[in-house]
Amino acid sequence: MLLFRGTDLRKGLSPEELQKVTDNWMAWFKRLTEQGKAVAGNPLEREGKIVSGKDRVVSDGPFAESKEAIGGYFLLDVNTIDEAVAIARECPGLPYGIRVEVRPVAGECPIAADIRKEAQFAQV
Amino acid sequence: MQNMNTQKQNGYMLLFRSDEWYEELSHDEIQKVISQNNSWIEKLIAQGKAKPGHALQRDGATVSGKNGRIVSDGPFAESKEVIGGFLLLDVETIAEAIAIAQRSPTLDYGTSIEVRPVAEECPLDVCARELAREEQFASA
Repeated sequence: MLLFRGTDLRKGLSPEELQKVTDNWMAWFKRLTEQGKAVAGNPLEREGKIVSGKDRVVSDGPFAESKEAIGGYFLLDVNTIDEAVAIARECPGLPYGIRVEVRPVAGECPIAADIRKEAQFAQV
Repeated sequence: MQNMNTQKQNGYMLLFRSDEWYEELSHDEIQKVISQNNSWIEKLIAQGKAKPGHALQRDGATVSGKNGRIVSDGPFAESKEVIGGFLLLDVETIAEAIAIAQRSPTLDYGTSIEVRPVAEECPLDVCARELAREEQFASA
């Protein structure tokens, strides 16, 4: 999974430059989809809420104009992290400060897998 | 600010953020939370409110810099709260999405959940068009 971090890309770009970046981005996604390398992807609105803790407190972002906030994601169907990283390096947002987090999708909950492994180890 | 009843046709994404919430729990407790979490998700899928989600492994890489020159290990760059998984919700309002997020069993152990509307079109594209209009207006 590729997580695109940074929602402040538009700062300092002209409308034409911004349009070019988004066109390139969409063309990139279209190509990856046609090659069967991307199976899903979506931009996220620059808004939302955070629910946290025992008390289920609801708070605001910030999701707009942030370096950290996630602006969208691609779900890739590739076999190695190297392949995923190579694709991430093609991201048209990189020259404008976007960072791409590359994360392996887990076959099962990694925490469950860890405790099962530990349990097996303890039995040996 | 977003109207809590705004209709969204594209659903919502829940991003589960956590530090290592399970570190202080026993194996049995962890197993219990995981089972509760699984049945919560299965129920949402059965109700047609969620599509099957994915857990993410805690490792990975972050690519940054012009032309992706910098590749660093791990997702941990500057953010303390790592995304541990996600779920796509097929509900119409953010109020519904928040209500679902609030029932997540892992919240009791200090996790947090980002509730984000999935965009119909790229917000950057919308922004580029708005900027172009503003420029046209300014030069008219």
